[in-house]
Amino acid sequence: MILALTVGLLVAGAVHLLLQRDALRVVLGFVLLGHGVNLLLFSAGGTGRRGEPLGQGPDPAVTADPLPQAFVLTAIVIAFAITIYLLVLAVTGTARDVAGPDDDGSPT
Amino acid sequence: MSLVVLVAGAWALVAITPVLARLLGPRTGWVVAAGLAALAAALVQVRATSGDVTASVPWIPAVDVALRLRLDGLGFLFALLVLLVGAVVMVYSAGYVRSPRPVGFFVLMTAFAAAMLTLVLADDLVVLFVAWELTTLCSYLLILVSGPAAGPPATRTLLVTALGGLALLGAVALVVVRTGTTELTAALASPVWGQDPAFAGAVAVLVALAAMTKAAQLPFHAWLPDAMVAPAPVSAYLHAAAMVKAGIYLLLVLAPAASASPLWSGTLVVVGVATAVVGAVFALQRTDLKELLAYSTVSQLGLLVAVIGVGTPGALLAACLHVVAHALFKSAAFMTVGVIEKRTGTRDLRELRGLARAMPWTAAMLVLAVVSMAGVAPAVGFVSKELVLDAFVTAEPGAVLGWGTVAVVTVGAALTVAYSLRMVVTTLPGPAPTPPVRRADPAMTTAITVTALGGLVAGVLPGTLDALVAPAAAVVGGVDVDQVPSLTLWHGVTPALLLSVAAVLGGVGLTLARRRVDALLVGRRLFPVDGTAVVQRAVDGVIAGGRRVGDITRSDVPATHLAVPVVLVGASTLGLTRLWSGLPDVGPVTPGEVALLVGVAAGVVGVVRARQRLTAVIATGVAGFGVVLWFVVLGASDVAMTQLLVEILTVVVMVLVLRRMSGTFRPVRARRQVVTAVVALAAGAAATVATLALTGHRPLSGAGEFYLRRAEDLTGGTNVVNTILVDFRALDTLGELVVLAVGAVAITALLDARRAVDRRSVPLARTPLVPAGPNAVFLGVLDRYLVPLMLVGSVLLLLRGHDAPGGGFIAALLGAAALVLAYLSAATDEVPRVERPYLTIAGWGVVVAVGTGLLGLAEGSFLRPLHLDVLGLKVTTALVFDVGVYLAVLGVLLAAVVRLGLSPASDRRADARRARAARDAAAPATRTPAEQSGARR
Repeated sequence: MILALTVGLLVAGAVHLLLQRDALRVVLGFVLLGHGVNLLLFSAGGTGRRGEPLGQGPDPAVTADPLPQAFVLTAIVIAFAITIYLLVLAVTGTARDVAGPDDDGSPT
Repeated sequence: MSLVVLVAGAWALVAITPVLARLLGPRTGWVVAAGLAALAAALVQVRATSGDVTASVPWIPAVDVALRLRLDGLGFLFALLVLLVGAVVMVYSAGYVRSPRPVGFFVLMTAFAAAMLTLVLADDLVVLFVAWELTTLCSYLLILVSGPAAGPPATRTLLVTALGGLALLGAVALVVVRTGTTELTAALASPVWGQDPAFAGAVAVLVALAAMTKAAQLPFHAWLPDAMVAPAPVSAYLHAAAMVKAGIYLLLVLAPAASASPLWSGTLVVVGVATAVVGAVFALQRTDLKELLAYSTVSQLGLLVAVIGVGTPGALLAACLHVVAHALFKSAAFMTVGVIEKRTGTRDLRELRGLARAMPWTAAMLVLAVVSMAGVAPAVGFVSKELVLDAFVTAEPGAVLGWGTVAVVTVGAALTVAYSLRMVVTTLPGPAPTPPVRRADPAMTTAITVTALGGLVAGVLPGTLDALVAPAAAVVGGVDVDQVPSLTLWHGVTPALLLSVAAVLGGVGLTLARRRVDALLVGRRLFPVDGTAVVQRAVDGVIAGGRRVGDITRSDVPATHLAVPVVLVGASTLGLTRLWSGLPDVGPVTPGEVALLVGVAAGVVGVVRARQRLTAVIATGVAGFGVVLWFVVLGASDVAMTQLLVEILTVVVMVLVLRRMSGTFRPVRARRQVVTAVVALAAGAAATVATLALTGHRPLSGAGEFYLRRAEDLTGGTNVVNTILVDFRALDTLGELVVLAVGAVAITALLDARRAVDRRSVPLARTPLVPAGPNAVFLGVLDRYLVPLMLVGSVLLLLRGHDAPGGGFIAALLGAAALVLAYLSAATDEVPRVERPYLTIAGWGVVVAVGTGLLGLAEGSFLRPLHLDVLGLKVTTALVFDVGVYLAVLGVLLAAVVRLGLSPASDRRADARRARAARDAAAPATRTPAEQSGARR
């Protein structure tokens, strides 16, 4: 329940930021969206069992599903690489994408 | 020697050609010619000792596809043609080619020969199709590499012939499905052909279509004259023995089965006769000798297609002999025109005069080729044309269109005589041209002499070809060799001879009246459309259509891209109410979880409301750390560690980028604020409802349970998540690390192509931050102890990853963090502190991972980890794979830090350096022509 609320919160923040004009806000929105989706993936594995999938003979009755964990682990790294790429895009576009109030008074 | 060795030998020749061409230059032609001649000798020996032979090498046993080869009369005829004409053309190339390292040309020509050899010896429909497509590719590439203007013609050739390839693919699929075998001989012998007229008809039409594109029949003839931009040896081979003959071979090989359909005979005769006449008229129109010859090929192949359509044993004998005759006179003619062009500098009929005096031997060879082409005794072209005419005259009524067809064919023959004579009547006589022509090249002279005299000898002594041609005709006709008539030069006075005489007289008449004919034809458009233009317009149309389809999504306004997914996801949320089955069982609400929610909320609200960019970045970090704690609570320490390190490194990269942006965000209009807030809240609510409705209602997944129970005994590792990454689902991980390496390349390419936004930095004067050196002391000292410690920790995490939290991803992130720390502790951003070959590192990551995967083939499958016992230590190659992961992650991070970390000032210096380098690179190029002209003088 609380996890679902966290997902919703992250997605709401992400969507708000993605709809902005500023490039950095869009990148931050992407980061938040990544968090939300990763938690959703965890939720898909079932969050009733929370034991670490480590050590010898883990008990499937209480151990968390390792498959979503593996997915999320790689997803984090890939999302990180894409975040870096987006940041590079943000500073190689036009100066307008990352401008402040001093550069041009008009609001966006 | 087995057939497999023979075909493998041809491809081995292709493999060594690059080395030969590098070492020997144009003289490679002699070596390749010797190789092809040796293969031909081996082929003759196989045929003489064993007769019809087959060979087979398993290829795809699961669907019963094999590299089946078969040598019968037909295959022998074509294989010999491919190898011997290939050898002659290669000798010619040795004299023709001028480039010092003609690697591309010789490799492609040899590959062309090897592909054709594979095609004509194939006894498996799949092999046949593959070889067919290989010839298409070879011809495309040969045309493409012939010059800067060759692009569009090469593309048109490829598209037209690839269209035929698709038709053949359709035919192959039909035959394989209907007859249940890919073996060509067995498929052709199937009784289905006679029982199912619809099937036979469909295959007949598809095969005819494929052959028509390859053999340049109307209306697909446009590519052949288009392909003339290729140099003379390519044209000679393509027209005489390779490409276009593949179409004829296909018709001959499938004729026994496909002729069961009445469509077969009718289609081939109508298309062939029409092409023969139209091609001959086009040839008569041309003044460029090469173009004339190209249309002559169109016309001659039309005759071949028509006579294959007639299908009687006599007609098939005529077809087989005409294939040989055409190969001889057409290769001789093309090569002679190449010589004439080399020696006089032109190949235009209107400019060439006095060749008989200027180059008597070449002119004599041209006359021999032309006599054969015109079908005049005693050349072999006469023998074959007699047989062709005879086939039409004696065909059973009903099989063809009767005397009308004979009349049209005779008109075609008369036109053929006319365009053949046209090549010599004005060019040979007259005084030798001034300035004098260039010297002849012995290699080229040898090649044209062999083919031109070959045509004469075969004509005077046609019996020499009996052993070659009769078995081929017998195979196609499905009769015994005894039932095929033998070849003679003189048949007595027959209707065919009378028609032949009529054709020659008609041709001579047209030649005598050539001024009037030229006035009527040359430069005139006979059809309202030009074939080349039609193909080009079709290509342009398809591309324009595609662009119009793409235009819908080609916009840099995010709203157009986001609208579709937003609407679709929103609409699907409405359907969630139907799936609602109560709250999932996820345990009780604990204060700890609520605290995490509050923490994440604080972060999210902070980002959304932030006015300063730095505040927004920090607030994102807060939300991220909340998520890290969530992972800990959910029992995923590996994931939590990864996320933690990523959070730290993200902040570092963002800070590097931030100094190129203004410090504060621009204010946002109130209306946009309201709209985005509404959309965002709706999306968040939908996400929460979806999470509750769609997840957590099922027990542990089957896959998850399997991994938990079996991971240790299958892989030896006790960290289940890591075993999934490097053992069970290593292919996924391989894909991901390739994405990371591509990321490193993309970042580098982007920053190489466009300079990052350059913002005047806020002056830091009179703040304690200004003296950079003293400020860096604290971090520098810490760095001295911390960096080695972190690097050691990184290696430990990598090594223990299989059994405890750690692994390549986490270890690499920690290692990168150490290097980033070293970077941050530098007192200046002027010099890159971590100048590492980041692209090489990322590349090695991919190489190591793929290499480990290939090791797995030893155990039967790509990426299967090998478990070794080294001195009592259990070692798995999964660890090496993890090293690949490590390197890829490190590569992308170093790329970002190194490339983004430099100050704008050093950007400017780098720009200046690049500009200097570009100037230096351009300077020698401007010098070269002067040097060259100096050297020539």
